Amino acid sequence: MVAFDKCETRPAHIDAILNGLDRYNPETTTVFQDYVAQQCEDRTFDIYANLAVLKLYQFNPHLLQADTVTNVLVKALTVFPSPAFSLCLSLLPAHTQPFSTTPEAQAAAQNSDFVESVQKLARLSTLLESAQYTQFWSTLNSDDLYADLTADAAGFEELVRIRIAVEVGKAFRSVSTESLEQWLDLRSGEALEKFVTDVCGWKIDGSVVNVPTNKENEVRSEVKSERVGVDMFGRVIRRGFEQAA
Amino acid sequence: MSYEDRANARPNLNDESDVEEEALVNDYREQVNFDDSMSELDRTTSLGGSQAQDLQAQLAAAATPLEYQATLETKFASYDNYCSLFHYILNSEGPVDLEVPSYYWAWDVIDEFIYQFESFCRYRNRVARTGSNEEEAQLLRENPNTWGCYSVLNVLYSLIQRSQINEQLAAIKRGEDPAAFAGEYGSRPLYKMLGYFSIIGLLRVHCLLGDFSLALKTLDDIEMNKKAMFARVMAAHFTTYYYVGFSYMMQRRYADAIRMFSHILVYVSRTKNFQKGGNNYDAIAKKNDQMYALIAICVALHPTRLDDTIHSAVREKYGEQFHRMQRGGPEALPVFEELFRSSCPKFISPTPPDFENPAYNVDPVDHQTSIFMDEVKNTIFNPTIRSYLKLYTTMDLKKLAGFLEVQPEQLRSWLLVNKQRSRQIRWVEGSLLEGDSVVANDLDYALENDLIHVSETKAGRRLVDWYLRNLARVY
Repeated sequence: MVAFDKCETRPAHIDAILNGLDRYNPETTTVFQDYVAQQCEDRTFDIYANLAVLKLYQFNPHLLQADTVTNVLVKALTVFPSPAFSLCLSLLPAHTQPFSTTPEAQAAAQNSDFVESVQKLARLSTLLESAQYTQFWSTLNSDDLYADLTADAAGFEELVRIRIAVEVGKAFRSVSTESLEQWLDLRSGEALEKFVTDVCGWKIDGSVVNVPTNKENEVRSEVKSERVGVDMFGRVIRRGFEQAA
Repeated sequence: MSYEDRANARPNLNDESDVEEEALVNDYREQVNFDDSMSELDRTTSLGGSQAQDLQAQLAAAATPLEYQATLETKFASYDNYCSLFHYILNSEGPVDLEVPSYYWAWDVIDEFIYQFESFCRYRNRVARTGSNEEEAQLLRENPNTWGCYSVLNVLYSLIQRSQINEQLAAIKRGEDPAAFAGEYGSRPLYKMLGYFSIIGLLRVHCLLGDFSLALKTLDDIEMNKKAMFARVMAAHFTTYYYVGFSYMMQRRYADAIRMFSHILVYVSRTKNFQKGGNNYDAIAKKNDQMYALIAICVALHPTRLDDTIHSAVREKYGEQFHRMQRGGPEALPVFEELFRSSCPKFISPTPPDFENPAYNVDPVDHQTSIFMDEVKNTIFNPTIRSYLKLYTTMDLKKLAGFLEVQPEQLRSWLLVNKQRSRQIRWVEGSLLEGDSVVANDLDYALENDLIHVSETKAGRRLVDWYLRNLARVY
């Protein structure tokens, strides 16, 4: 498991900024912004660096670029289930009220495109995190604003689709094509077949998709026995020597 | 890490030697009796004249809490006092020749400095939000840079850099002599201690600002054990574990959060006798209760066996709420929210509020609470799912959906969510942000179309453990 603050695709100059005090320097904002744009382009994701740019915005609200923030959030959507999205929200201004449904929050959304975008993306995050994949796609397709928000993130839909497939593969040994079609938003049998065989390596058998056994979906009952190590007896053995002496 | 390792990891939680524990207890006893630190300071300083008098007053003030009803002017003055004191310590020609009586003074200074920053930010936000006091609002508007986040961070980072404390700690970790890395400043206790506690201070500031990963990253060079320097000051020890535990919790690493909270709560319960009468007893008692509440939340989200002492204390303090959270379902949501609000840090917004639009200044505590509650809402049916699946080895999904009176599609979502949340990142070794993905639940399942296959990992009887424990009693 790669540590939270590391990222294999992170360039050296970003790493240097992150590990020094320059991460607070408003002048590095543009460097981070470019890096976010680059992540959108080459489909990589570096949460630790993205939190650093949100932190710069937190300290210097006048520098805040709505596009960069929404791109960071959109990228965080592609790694669900994970705390990435909520960690990003924690650094945003409180007035964005991402999950609030009060009239004040709705008014705030009407007055500000930025607030509206954040709230819309938070809705998508909730749907993904609560595994309501069918609703996720219908929500995503319900409003043109979503298309605008996700436009910068190359392959957004495909990345999400792959994540969904991975999660489904962990829980299912076989699943009906009907469910999978809805969860992956691949409505034609042809598209579904192509995706599950080419990308996932699964097999379709009539109206059922079979997922090969993996570590997560095999599920065996077992009784774990107690671990017994020599070290556990240290005290008893020492005591034995002390007594003898 | 398998379930087995996990089951066995628990009893080793408190295996540090009793000798160490004893030393700490003695240390703590010392602290409680440590009331007249400032008079001691007077005797030990070598500076003379009125300038020294002045400095003494400043040093004393820096470690003393402001009165509860302090006016804005007092708060501004206090900020100026800190600025000039830290400026003197950091920017004099060469290290300042000041003897500090003990660890406690350095901790108190940093602690109070951050506390005042926190309460100032919250106060400023409240004035703007309620729009009640035009005069104060005006004064705050005119002084946007007082208690600014950059100056506060600047002080903490400067103290850390001047003392080269991170280099020293890294050397200790490697088993080398820290003195070789201390430099001109860091070899002096004043700088070393201020630097060290500034690291803990940073942990707290980042957490208050909602930057939970950076908070943990700050402790890269500190080893979390009883040998650590923070363990010598009770309040610092306590604060460190509270904020580390909380940061883990906000990253959904509940097992690690529970480990942190349990560690410090067990320690506190052992040293209870020495707290009574201590000057910060009330503050510690309050944080203590908060951590029990947070443990209750974490265990509800991530069922696990607790240390016996902790478990009975949680039940004693939060019995009813604990039970409701463990049962889950929408009725439990208000309980989660109430406990979270009463136990979370007092989050702050680092920048001046918008005085023109009161509604714009949402309380940061509301903000963080709603983010946390979103995750709770998403997982609120996990206990329901688990309680049913425990009863079966195979179960038809549609039948279970019928029992639960939900649509099969809804149940599939709940099953996926529960499965996902039973995988968690858990610390094994290295820095606090590292960890491995582990199966954090003894109940697992997989679906074959609509047929749910359930498996349960049971821990075998722990005969050797039982034998050894009983042996220890008599032999």
